[in-house]
Amino acid sequence: MRRTKEGLLLTISYIFIGIMVVFTIYPIIYTIVGSFKTNSELTLGGSFFPEIWHVENYVQAFIQADFVKYTWNSVIVSMAVMVIATLTASLAGFTFARRNFVGKKLWLAAYTTLMFVALGSVTLYPIYSLLTALHLNKSIAGLILALVSGQASNVMLTMGFVKSIPKELDEAAIIDGCSLYGIFFKIILPLIKPIMAVVALFSFRQAWNDYVTTLIMSISLPKLRTLTVAVVQLKYSVNAAAEWHIMLAGASIAIVPILIVYGFCHKQFIGGLTAGAVKG
Amino acid sequence: MSKKEKISPAKRKRLIRENLRSYSLLLPNLILFLAFSVYPVLWTFKYVFYRYGGYGSSVPKFVGFDNLIRVFGDDIYWKAVKNTFVYAGAKILFVIPIAFFLALLLNKKRRGNGFFQSVIFMPTVMSSAVMGLVFYLLFNVYNGQINRYLLDWNIISQPVNWLGKQHAMKTLVITAIWGGIGNYMVYFIAGLQQISQDTLESARIDGANRLQTLWYITIPMLGPILKIILMLSITAAFSDMNSVMVLTEGGPTNATMVMALYGYQFFFPISAGTVITPQYGYGAAVSTVSAVIAGLITLGYLFISRKLDDIY
Repeated sequence: MRRTKEGLLLTISYIFIGIMVVFTIYPIIYTIVGSFKTNSELTLGGSFFPEIWHVENYVQAFIQADFVKYTWNSVIVSMAVMVIATLTASLAGFTFARRNFVGKKLWLAAYTTLMFVALGSVTLYPIYSLLTALHLNKSIAGLILALVSGQASNVMLTMGFVKSIPKELDEAAIIDGCSLYGIFFKIILPLIKPIMAVVALFSFRQAWNDYVTTLIMSISLPKLRTLTVAVVQLKYSVNAAAEWHIMLAGASIAIVPILIVYGFCHKQFIGGLTAGAVKG
Repeated sequence: MSKKEKISPAKRKRLIRENLRSYSLLLPNLILFLAFSVYPVLWTFKYVFYRYGGYGSSVPKFVGFDNLIRVFGDDIYWKAVKNTFVYAGAKILFVIPIAFFLALLLNKKRRGNGFFQSVIFMPTVMSSAVMGLVFYLLFNVYNGQINRYLLDWNIISQPVNWLGKQHAMKTLVITAIWGGIGNYMVYFIAGLQQISQDTLESARIDGANRLQTLWYITIPMLGPILKIILMLSITAAFSDMNSVMVLTEGGPTNATMVMALYGYQFFFPISAGTVITPQYGYGAAVSTVSAVIAGLITLGYLFISRKLDDIY
């Protein structure tokens, strides 16, 4: 009696998990498998797997739809955003956690308040105007800066992490004649690596996946578009109805790299999420 | 007598130097913060009170509360507000229980659970805009795979217009559920792992069955984390915009227009949207009211959850 009840419960659990796994993975598999089909196979229906695996869809996407350039943009932009965001946020987090200076309270209040002001994407307009005034609206640097943005939550995240490191370490280093910059680079930096990895990973993902900011910042120079924007813009191309295979090839080019990154660092992705939310 | 006058010149010099040093570390981020977080917000707040953009007003003109008054009489805006609530409510209603049960099942150390967790988390790392495009193809009326399956399995007899007026909101919510489950599942797992095994063990020894343990031990002990999770899900659902933009552009005829997108289109006309001439002043007013609404919801939620604390 008890055993059958256990068995039933286990079966129901596995059916539920199974349904959710299929629900989650189906659109991803559809994208990747579909990217090897012809347009008519996609639009008129057919077997799940393509009759012939059309690798030339990718050739077409990369060459005709110019995805080589967009891939390159995505790589450059995401890497730059990752490096700048991680470095500036950890420097600021360290300063807030360890230093006393004029205006500290004011800045801290400003950082926390701004985290709760949810104006959304409309702020892209003043940002765009500002970059135009600085003559950065037609350069990749402007796009990168707009994507790095204020980093308030990352600063708070690193600040919390630095605070959990014993202050005695810094003090010992000062006595040993270490400078402020020495303390940061030689003592703190090695110790805050876990949280820096989280900030780096999340800012990379954000830059790689971003749509709206990149769309706006590439208005004046469409060749700055990243993969995400370029793929979505295919929807608006003149013969979109005949280009499903190109859209799916493009979508695969956009999602496979980030899935590979995820494959290697899924522990950090999942762990980082909770470091940011539940603990903080 | 103020404190400053007591400080000797040497000490003052040292103090200035220390401050400069601090700022040298803070400055790279501070500049970004001021330029990309503070300035745009102040800009938006300022232009709430200006007529700027739109027909023949390329020069900002102070109009006081005109824009705000217009927001309160704007039927499409309030429709967007209603849609946002429907969207957010439906998303949270589905995502939170599903994520919770998945967490409960996948938290146990069993073969394959780690793998299932990683799979279900996958949508979180992917671009919602790109996947919006994929869903746009999947939900296509005549050529989409969803209708084809449903027709083949005789669940429907005619193709359903998933992106039409009647069903577009459902489609958006399905997409949002797809993208949201993994995220909240991980939050729940983190919460579950903080519950000590001893407590659960002692409940079992006392003869509590699984349902009782869940109801009397697990859920109450998840309380504090559940609160954070709900809070995060509310703020996220109110600001979701990418998938709406890609899938429906707020249409058809504003059936899926949400607050975030409605404000946005006054600055950057969306391709098939209704607005053609940017109206910065009015857009600023719309977005500010939306931010206030979202803020009030959050505050209200915090207030209620605190009240609940007192009861329990």
